[in-house]
Amino acid sequence: MELQSKYKTLRDVPQIDYLAPGGSLCAGCGGLLAVRLFHKVLGKNVVWVNAAGCMTIMVNYPLVPLKSNWLYTAFASAPAGAQGIRDAFDILIRKGKIPESEDLKVVVLTGDGAAYDIGLQSTSGAIYRNLDFYYLCYDNQAYGNTGFQVSSATPVGSATATTPPVPSEPAGNIQKRKDLFEIWRAHNPPYIATLSSSYTVDFLRKVEKGSTFKGPKLYISLAGCPTGWGYDPRETIREEKLAVETGIWPLKEAVEGKVKHTVVPRALKPVEEYLATQSRYQHLFNPVRRKEVIRSIQEQVNLYWEEASKREDFEIKLVNT
Amino acid sequence: MLMTGNMAAAWGARLGRADYIPAYPITPQTEIIETIAKWVRLGEMDAKLVQMESEHSMLTAAGAASLAGARVFTATSSQGLLYALEMLYNISGWRAPMMLINVARALAAPITLEPDHNDVLAARDTGFLQFHAETCQEVLDLILLAYRVAEDSSVLLPAIVNLDGFYLSFTREKVTLPSEQDVSTFLPDYNPPNPFRANMPVSKGATVLNGALYSYFKYHMHTSSIRALSVFEEAALQFERIFGRSYSPVEPYMMDDAEFVIVISNSFSTIAKQAVRRLRERGFPAGLLKLRMLRPFPSSLVARYLSARRGVAVFDQNISLGSGGIIYPEVVASLYHRRNRPQLLLPVIGGLGGKQITVEEMEKIFEAIKNEIGAESPDPIFLMRQEELETTKNMVRTAKEVQI
Amino acid sequence: MPLITNYFLALTLDFYILTQPLIVIPDKFLMILMIVRVRFHGRGGQGAKTASRILGTASFVEGMNVQDSPVYGAERRGAPVTAFTRISDSEILERGYVFDPDLLIVMDATLLASPVAKVTDGIRKKGAIFLNAQSANIIGEHYTLPSDVRIASYDLTSSAMEMLGKPIISSASAAAAARLVGLVKESSLEQAIVTELEEIGLSEEMIKKNVMLGRKIFSSLEPLELATEESEKKLRIVPLEMITSNDGLEDIIAVGNSKVAKTGSWRIFKPVVDYEKCTACTVCYAYCPESALILRQDGKPEIDYDNCKGCLICYRECPPKAINIEREVIAF
Repeated sequence: MELQSKYKTLRDVPQIDYLAPGGSLCAGCGGLLAVRLFHKVLGKNVVWVNAAGCMTIMVNYPLVPLKSNWLYTAFASAPAGAQGIRDAFDILIRKGKIPESEDLKVVVLTGDGAAYDIGLQSTSGAIYRNLDFYYLCYDNQAYGNTGFQVSSATPVGSATATTPPVPSEPAGNIQKRKDLFEIWRAHNPPYIATLSSSYTVDFLRKVEKGSTFKGPKLYISLAGCPTGWGYDPRETIREEKLAVETGIWPLKEAVEGKVKHTVVPRALKPVEEYLATQSRYQHLFNPVRRKEVIRSIQEQVNLYWEEASKREDFEIKLVNT
Repeated sequence: MLMTGNMAAAWGARLGRADYIPAYPITPQTEIIETIAKWVRLGEMDAKLVQMESEHSMLTAAGAASLAGARVFTATSSQGLLYALEMLYNISGWRAPMMLINVARALAAPITLEPDHNDVLAARDTGFLQFHAETCQEVLDLILLAYRVAEDSSVLLPAIVNLDGFYLSFTREKVTLPSEQDVSTFLPDYNPPNPFRANMPVSKGATVLNGALYSYFKYHMHTSSIRALSVFEEAALQFERIFGRSYSPVEPYMMDDAEFVIVISNSFSTIAKQAVRRLRERGFPAGLLKLRMLRPFPSSLVARYLSARRGVAVFDQNISLGSGGIIYPEVVASLYHRRNRPQLLLPVIGGLGGKQITVEEMEKIFEAIKNEIGAESPDPIFLMRQEELETTKNMVRTAKEVQI
Repeated sequence: MPLITNYFLALTLDFYILTQPLIVIPDKFLMILMIVRVRFHGRGGQGAKTASRILGTASFVEGMNVQDSPVYGAERRGAPVTAFTRISDSEILERGYVFDPDLLIVMDATLLASPVAKVTDGIRKKGAIFLNAQSANIIGEHYTLPSDVRIASYDLTSSAMEMLGKPIISSASAAAAARLVGLVKESSLEQAIVTELEEIGLSEEMIKKNVMLGRKIFSSLEPLELATEESEKKLRIVPLEMITSNDGLEDIIAVGNSKVAKTGSWRIFKPVVDYEKCTACTVCYAYCPESALILRQDGKPEIDYDNCKGCLICYRECPPKAINIEREVIAF
């Protein structure tokens, strides 16, 4: 049974903002857009529990764009911070020390470095304990705040500051991204979804849908990163859209463990159309074209969608390699 | 060449022929591992760099590789150092003489990026030797010296070389690069006792469950650390012969006839030296003693240089909340038994979170030493300029004033 | 007796020359030790850090002692950035922030209004300010400039747009600084531009264009015979306060107060709504990361220019192309 969503078109984007302008993040930050949209759905009664990352810079004393609560914890343990706050509210409300109207939705906010690497253990623990919280990972596929070093979310073929392409390793990064969605799913949380701000209605609906579950509600949002990926800030939405249209960033959800793709392109665009627009992939095109790397990225995408289409029984036109 | 402190640190790894570099990004250290990553990938440096998932894992890998016989180099800052702190005690207990660069950065909360020494001094009890650099040249040279001392068979302890974030890490100045050949002469290959080997198995890090045993091993680590002082001095002599630059555990500056002295370490020493020079131009007998080696603490040298001075200020760029500076009591303890100890030991706290310090502030410290001599109990100085406090209060007001 | 530390006295000299400011002679070493401190103020993306390094390398090539460094804040494209170069013919006993510059290079004149950047703070008496602007006079009408300093100006951005096609003025600013300081030969400047731009991975063609740009600026300016004096400084170290109120807590109660940061100054281009064409589809509203765009009653957007950083996502995504862009031109 599908939930009747409030969100049908872009005009339904709630016209109330819980983020003021004037923060110190880069112009065109895809991560910030994800935070803004996420907040719109959750409403104002939120406490963000922030792991180290770009969003740490969002709150820069004495100025804060957020109109809700915020706590900076540490790199490794934001979900444990969320546990503490959730538990404190539960016990204080039960004891009648604070009214239920003061209750907050607890949201962990992390980049991919924290989510995929240093904070994975803490996240695993929180999901295991069925903590009633939201988890938003803005995934820009590298350690952005320190200058774009490889993380275990970095895709094959991306140059990073610690995996520069060189003649002996022309692809840049050669390690495959962890599949965090599946790692989380193996913990059996009630709701997991991938997001992209460029598919705004899909984004809003998933946050709305997750809210109906008690327990961990986990989101990975693609976060177009003009600074790290190397594109003009105005292209953030275009880049994210291309990531979806090429099949590189599948939009999907898992409700009680059951996976469903929420946006299925009828025909995938070639990955090249996406890769070629970003500096982090330029070494795949210049000075010589790295056909084999581009082909293998395409093959991985094809393989993913072939399997997904069989499992979920949908049609999709792949790109010939 | 002109190079930053971070670049000099990377050259330390390269010229020191490090085999293995486990890494994890953190500002302001990250450039070091980026530089090494590039060299390794280009084949300019024959080593393996692996990016780990946390500093705790990074240090664990580092110590373990050192025990397996690899020369290990790694780097971190601030929160990263503290996250790995548990492993620092293990690594020294394993007697793994690896190199850890700390690019100093103050600790959260509040979170910040600029330096003070609470991070590196949190590691002061771990058994790691500690060398603190004032210049980019010193960063490189101290890495070579520290490897040599740490790996000495009579020491076998890991080492930290500390450089200040921003003031050194991102500041370019002239650095003379020694030749690979000269470095090989000075720093032989790493050859540890009892590495893990197929033909001669060994067990390391065993449980003791026995206080006397525990004490025995700790005492041995302590005496090995103390020995590092003379090993350093000997190595420094050879270093000077080969490279022409002279290093001692402490560096006296205009100390010959100095009556008023500041004890300081790291990059702010430069500004204090300028103050000394300016005061000398005005005929004021100022002097400076820079602490280059913090562990082992060079007590006898400190005592020798500070005895018979009229007044001494100890500049701590750190704060042990509820007590004061961390270095101050160590200097006091070094001097207590000297009959001709200075009349005044003035505690000064400054530069927290990288708070800028002007040469005039440094001069003011000397003025305070002179004025406070004879005082019953001298008031500690906490550096904060009036205009800084005013700006700060404005910011606090901005944070508190709710606009409707 | 005033103490002039601009020029460190050679220790071998047994007399002090404290009353006679020295003149920096172009392309020549001085007999007496000297130091020149240059402070660059720009915005993230303009190339302040690279400019400080080019000047550093050029001076190093000339055999000088050099120290250069940037201030890293949470710096982002458009945010105020500061960088320094110290040049001396002897050991540099300074480090960190340049409090008292001999020469200020103001890469974006709007920074003069920034309470954060504090551009002219601490400039030495008889120091100099270089403004990236067509006319220093007009700037002087808009902003208060310190007295007792010399002013030079040149429109670096227009030259950069013309020769590089981008408003990046690292080489141009370094060239201006190098020329004004007068210790660097043109050939050393060129060498430094090549070295530093190779270091950051620019293409050969772009480097060539930068060299041309540097040459143009270098030849368009004349050395300022800088002879600065230490300004009077009031120093008061305040005693440690016992704070008993909540003012000692780092809490930010004034949530949502970031608007006062006025990040609108980060913009290079500004989006402008054509209300005739606008269909009130609200796409721009949905996609603005900054919430710097609100919807009016009629559903059409109103841009908060005080805070819009100029990412131009709204311009790019507007379905009826009802948002145009204009280069931010300062009134002078």
